[in-house]
Amino acid sequence: MRRATAAVVGIGEVPSGRFPDRSELEAAVLACKGAILDAGLGPRDIDVVMPTGALASRHFNVDLIFSRLCEELGMLRSAAMNVQVMAGGASSSSMLALAEALVSTGAARTVLCVHSDAVGSLPRQMGIDLFATTGVSEEWEAPYGHNMNAVGALISQRYMHETGSTAAELSSVCVALRKWAQLNPNAMFRSPLSLEDVMTSKIVATPLRAKHCNVLADGASAFVVARASEAAAITPTPVYVRAHASKVTHYSVSQDRDLARLGFFEAAVEAYEQSGLEPKDIHIAELYDAYPVFPLIALDALRVCRGERAGSFVAAGETSPGGSMPMTTNGGMLSQGHTGAGGGVAVLVEAFRQLMGKAGERQVPGAVNAAETASGGTWMDSHVTILSKEA
Amino acid sequence: MANTASHPNPTAWSAPFWEAAAQRRLVIQHCRSCDASIMYPKRVCPHCLGEDLGWRASKGEGEIYSVTVQKAAPPTGFEDRLPYVIAIVRLDEDVQLMTNLIGSDAEHAECGDRVTVDFETRSDIGVTLPVFRLVNPK
Repeated sequence: MRRATAAVVGIGEVPSGRFPDRSELEAAVLACKGAILDAGLGPRDIDVVMPTGALASRHFNVDLIFSRLCEELGMLRSAAMNVQVMAGGASSSSMLALAEALVSTGAARTVLCVHSDAVGSLPRQMGIDLFATTGVSEEWEAPYGHNMNAVGALISQRYMHETGSTAAELSSVCVALRKWAQLNPNAMFRSPLSLEDVMTSKIVATPLRAKHCNVLADGASAFVVARASEAAAITPTPVYVRAHASKVTHYSVSQDRDLARLGFFEAAVEAYEQSGLEPKDIHIAELYDAYPVFPLIALDALRVCRGERAGSFVAAGETSPGGSMPMTTNGGMLSQGHTGAGGGVAVLVEAFRQLMGKAGERQVPGAVNAAETASGGTWMDSHVTILSKEA
Repeated sequence: MANTASHPNPTAWSAPFWEAAAQRRLVIQHCRSCDASIMYPKRVCPHCLGEDLGWRASKGEGEIYSVTVQKAAPPTGFEDRLPYVIAIVRLDEDVQLMTNLIGSDAEHAECGDRVTVDFETRSDIGVTLPVFRLVNPK
């Protein structure tokens, strides 16, 4: 077991959805301002600004790389470094792990991690095509009509084949996430969603139907990482990073030989070892979704379903509000919206929010320890992070 | 914007794969230093980083590792092909590749079904692609 060396001391977020009148820059500035003020800090207390990648506008992404946020937020000559960390959907856990390394080695006292993008405002076909080229090999996969929904479909099919999970169980993930999103004012989709709504929606890529597929959204979220030893002096509600483990399993999804598990099982074992915690110690599971199969794989890997199969556990309502293992309590990318690399950042920020006791109507009482997962590209990597109110 | 329905644009080291496909042959890259089979073709062997690489004929048989029938929301250039079947095939030589399943029964394919290679000349992107068919019709 290792001691926590880093803690998150502030979070910020703007609502997800389609906001054609809100620029990526405006969303980024507001999310950063929120995180800095939430920590009780000022902009000149931030040593390193770490934006992740934005996909909708190359120009905005270049601005993120070249210190635009430092200029907009009054950090000039106080910030030591502005550096982009981009790992697609795994940018959340990757930024946190790298920020943790910077503060724990003394290279920085504080790191501001931020995501902002406007993929929700892209024309629909442009969004499909954008995600048909993120982790999809131009030479080996694109000529076959491969795309991101097919990635989700191929992994779902193999998972169902190996575990016996049913389409109804996959659909129950979408229903559970929507119940959480109904309690989340930042979520894109907040109207009720029934199992029948999911099971009768249009088939997109078997076994996936339209309601199994995420919808692209504009959004931004941010968080501030500090040294664990200084966190309690900064905020009364620090969230400590107790473990992070990850495995890269492929570039092209066709090359992964264990699609029903990906790298999550190995990462979970390592993360539990690092943290000194066990599955019974986990109170909430903030699991990266994008498609319903991925929280199921993560639940299996984390062993938090009391010996049940993840699919039947979710179908029984155990991960919904009031259930024994609250899961992805912001509604996930399926209901809060897929903001690009930020879908995972929003899930990670939700884990901080819950442990800080700032989740409002959807606050899980008594949550001390949280497990968070993330993955990028075509589920190229599997990240497991364990967070705690206790150092 | 998409390059989704474009020519595969082979690299110097993958060109022999596509040249073989144009002659309706499926080949697998092979490392002469460590005897590894390599898919997809690479500049150096990912097992031993060797550069003495050659090619072996594949029997073109294997099983479906996973499969999906694309019925809606395709990338640009694939609208007229709907529905089409995308599969990951694990060849008997123990390497995997992405492909399309063709044939009237392809939509009924399941994980574990046996498949055999075929070739489809795609005039729209100017290439012959390895594709697969079910061995046992459904």
